[in-house]
Amino acid sequence: MECVVQGIIETKHVEALEILLQGLCGVHRDSLRIHELCLKSVPNLGLVSSEVRLLCDLEQPEPTWTVRHIGGAMRGAGAEQISVLVRTMAESKVSKNALRLFYALGYKLDHELLRVGFAFHFNRGAPITVTVSSVNKMLKLHATDEAVPVTPGIQLVEVTAPASSENYTEVAAAMTSFCEYLAPLLHLSKPGVSTGVVPTAAAAAASLMSDGGGTTL
Amino acid sequence: MAATEGAVVAGGQDQQPPPQARAVERLNPQVQQQLNLELVKTRAISLFKAITRILEELGGLARTNAVPKWQYILGQFSMVNLELYNIVEEIKNVSKAFVVHPKNVNAENATILPVMLSSKLLPEMEMDDNAKSEQLLHGVQNLPVPAQIEKLKTRIDMIGAACESAEKIIADARKSYFGTRQGPSLLPTIDKVQAAKIQEQENLLRSAVNHGEGLRMPGDQRQVTSSLPVHLADVLSVNDGTQSFSDSSGMYQKNTPPLMSTPSNNNQGTLLQASGAQLIGRPAASPSTGSTSFDNTTASPMQYANSPRSGANIMNTPSPQQQSHQQQQPQQLQQHQHQQRQKMMQLPPHQQQLLAQQQLRQSSMPGLGQNQLSQLHDMQNQTQPKFQSMHGQHHVQFSQPLAAQQLQGRQLTSAAMHMGTNQLSQGNQLNRQLNQFSSAANSALFNAAQTTPTSQMITNMSAMMPSQSILPRMQFGMSGGNRSLPAQNLSDQMFNMGAASASGMMPIQQQQQHGTQGAFGNMPQGAQNLQSGIVPMQNTQQNHPNFQQQRPQNQ
Repeated sequence: MECVVQGIIETKHVEALEILLQGLCGVHRDSLRIHELCLKSVPNLGLVSSEVRLLCDLEQPEPTWTVRHIGGAMRGAGAEQISVLVRTMAESKVSKNALRLFYALGYKLDHELLRVGFAFHFNRGAPITVTVSSVNKMLKLHATDEAVPVTPGIQLVEVTAPASSENYTEVAAAMTSFCEYLAPLLHLSKPGVSTGVVPTAAAAAASLMSDGGGTTL
Repeated sequence: MAATEGAVVAGGQDQQPPPQARAVERLNPQVQQQLNLELVKTRAISLFKAITRILEELGGLARTNAVPKWQYILGQFSMVNLELYNIVEEIKNVSKAFVVHPKNVNAENATILPVMLSSKLLPEMEMDDNAKSEQLLHGVQNLPVPAQIEKLKTRIDMIGAACESAEKIIADARKSYFGTRQGPSLLPTIDKVQAAKIQEQENLLRSAVNHGEGLRMPGDQRQVTSSLPVHLADVLSVNDGTQSFSDSSGMYQKNTPPLMSTPSNNNQGTLLQASGAQLIGRPAASPSTGSTSFDNTTASPMQYANSPRSGANIMNTPSPQQQSHQQQQPQQLQQHQHQQRQKMMQLPPHQQQLLAQQQLRQSSMPGLGQNQLSQLHDMQNQTQPKFQSMHGQHHVQFSQPLAAQQLQGRQLTSAAMHMGTNQLSQGNQLNRQLNQFSSAANSALFNAAQTTPTSQMITNMSAMMPSQSILPRMQFGMSGGNRSLPAQNLSDQMFNMGAASASGMMPIQQQQQHGTQGAFGNMPQGAQNLQSGIVPMQNTQQNHPNFQQQRPQNQ
């Protein structure tokens, strides 16, 4: 289970966001380059077609694979009051044979994308991960070296934290309070809810990028 | 309020007579001007009149017992209050030397009242006072007082001017600072066109990330044309460009079985095992291929819970795990055991006893021969504790891990031999360690044991072995996992399934619970009922009701 929110930020403000996150999180950024393959099963393998995502981390010298299944989100009145999305999620490291396995099981590649950016992993009431990445698509199958951004001027910011059914409210609260610190630069919302950009982001970014006010007038 | 206004009025009026009474003593004209006694007097009189008016009105109301217009009266009071306040302010400003305005001591003036009332300051305070005045009047003490006053005034004015200019400079600096930062536009809003563009981009991005919109390539572009990136080069061979693997047999040839997880386990993330675990290498066969492979065997077609089965049919149910698996997951072991059990169900009664015994041994296909049949006869009527004791006595020693099919084949044939020789229980030891045998092997052997041990059996068995396609069904059932077996089975220590051995038992009683051992416990109870049958590979649910019925019966 995980709590997740997403937001967008203009590419020109990403550097300022990084500075802000560096200050808030206190850890160094981890570079991110993940090739995500989304596989869908055909319906005759189950009642409904299922979707599973294979993530290959290309940043390491040795590519590591992870398989992730994202389930349904929490629904109901309680879920609407929480400002983050709580959904079931199962993740595991796998060997590189996973892709073959899924193909053999009958899964087909639905789409793939490449995320390039950075991430911060830290603990603030809950182990939170903030990922800022540009989402790239590949024009040719599996051609990760020739990926182009889906939206050149906008990058995606994702804040996630693992949760369980017992503690998801605390995790959601921790995430919400952290996200408030990012308010000057971007709005975060549940995936699927569009936010727009923050009008004052430019000013906030400028102040973050400034060298501390030592400019002469 | 009446008291204070009385005091005020008195004060105002008092101040008026003394200057007039003592003609000689006149207030300093300046002070007089400051006091503005006329104004104070006017105000005091008007206030007095207003209050009198109110009092009259209230008196009239009281006399006539009329309902007062509270709104109006409250308005009058507020007017009076306001006027009083004005008067007090004026008097406060100028009469500091004459009267002490706060008549009552309260927290506000408690600290300052003593100083106000005292004629002389405390010594320390006096010293402070002197020091400060010394400081201030440093240069002007020798001058006459008016001159001193003038100098102090000029000094104050200079300081005031300096403060003002400083403030002005700070304001200018602030403006220019922010001006250069933000550029010409300080507007916090984005213009509509740009906002619309951003919105559009945002929707694109969000749908791409969350749903994959805009990232799907049409079929013709899905061929791998350019060279694969490094991380995919060894994962996908060029031929794997197409993503459908219909031929299951290909999978079996691989030496390293890939991770097994069934698509039907969508809601069960736990079945996605880490690469360290070795699951049974099952081909991803579609059910259709499985059924065809069934036909290849000598046994009858797929078994369903409702269809009566003959004993020979059990051969079909060798679990997929028969094939190359090194270590079986508990679930699969149970499946295997279930499978075995189910096969037992369909056997004639004496064979059922065999089946009952088989529960105890988890992977011991070999050795279950006719020699065990007699054992099962005895065991069938025994309670579980007895089972345990018997269980302990009978241990079939099986050779260690079947890593390869060949080994299994060997064992199968050896088991067939066993069966042929008709050895009785004494020498038999059931091997409880499931991880040594593939459940398929066990079930195959078991099936061989169930039917008459003839040489034909052996051939059948060997023919059975390659029927790997049956295996996939087993796996499907495993994941389903909603059936919970009665606790009795679970706690039964007899059925101590090794973690590794996933029996290929049909998922009748299965293992919806991970590692549950309960399936075994059902067997004795169900042993009576042959008809429960081996569940169809795919659908465990069909058999489940049967089993449930059986259990109460047998208990």
